[in-house]
Amino acid sequence: MAVSIDGQSILEMHSDMNFFNCDFRRGAVSAIPIFIGYFTASTAFGLLARGAGLSGLQSILFSATNLTGAAQFLAINLIASGAFPLEIVFSIFLINLRYFLMTASLLIKVKYKNNLEKYLAAFAVTDEVFSVAMVDSGNVNVRFMAGLQLTSWSGWVLGTVAGFFAGTFLPPALSAAMQVALFALFAALLVPEIKKDKLIAFLTALGAALLNTFFYYVLKLSAGWSLAIAMIIASLAATIFLSRQNALKKSPGEREFRKNG
Amino acid sequence: MAVIIGGAIVNYVIRVAPVLLSKGRRMPPFLATFLNIMPVAALGALIFPGIIESFPEKPIAGIAGVFVAALVSYFADGLVFPVVAAIAASWFTMRFF
Repeated sequence: MAVSIDGQSILEMHSDMNFFNCDFRRGAVSAIPIFIGYFTASTAFGLLARGAGLSGLQSILFSATNLTGAAQFLAINLIASGAFPLEIVFSIFLINLRYFLMTASLLIKVKYKNNLEKYLAAFAVTDEVFSVAMVDSGNVNVRFMAGLQLTSWSGWVLGTVAGFFAGTFLPPALSAAMQVALFALFAALLVPEIKKDKLIAFLTALGAALLNTFFYYVLKLSAGWSLAIAMIIASLAATIFLSRQNALKKSPGEREFRKNG
Repeated sequence: MAVIIGGAIVNYVIRVAPVLLSKGRRMPPFLATFLNIMPVAALGALIFPGIIESFPEKPIAGIAGVFVAALVSYFADGLVFPVVAAIAASWFTMRFF
């Protein structure tokens, strides 16, 4: 190993040699807002789990192995109301079907080297992890994902621990305001995409939001289904629009043909 | 306990299924475009109407927070600052409006 007088380059060389290199750190830093949001949300989960009669170990295990927001809250509600386990597990399945789309989407974006990396990263795919990874403009590889996912997972698990054992230790006014954290994160991820892709991104996001609102309030679908269907329809519409545009660009003859036809 | 283990299995199966299904196959362009645009649709649908549901007593506090986050992120890179600014905005709105 070459010795450098410049402290920075020694540090960089060193950190390059282990797993906790630049991409891992970058992923972990990207997850700080997720950590804040998860910690607050899962504090509430820990509290509710205790109320529903789960032990501390069960609550923590639930968060550590399921790592999902809405579905865990719903499960706790159902447990408290005495529903059958199979029924609850089926609800979890329905609410979280959207993760299927997210893993599929990440397969295109993340530079995985082998299948093992894919299997590992699939475990901690969440709305927030997915959004941050997809819009990141840097090198998104498995190390980035590891930093991102471990930090997010820690926030979710530690919040559960805190909620179960300490109750709400934040002042109520502040913890209420912190409900906004994850939505603020979504907005902060969306704005650069709209700046980049302009109208099509704006319309896709707006369309999905309106569809979701319609499905949820008018058709009274569950939150999970409503979100998944809204996402699919809005993306499908945008994809059809984009493919047509590409087809027109590629073959000018087609435009003529359409006019005549 | 059955719920926890069942939930863990179901969640992992959903998350890992695309990996198994995509093995050794090439992605058709239409599907690739679809999966690329999906985050934008997801973000739109994740924000709304969830933000209203999270502030049942004062939806305006949530909307103010998201608005401030969008505004801050328009002018500055990074995610921490928009989130902190949004929390402050929501707190302020709940306190004084």
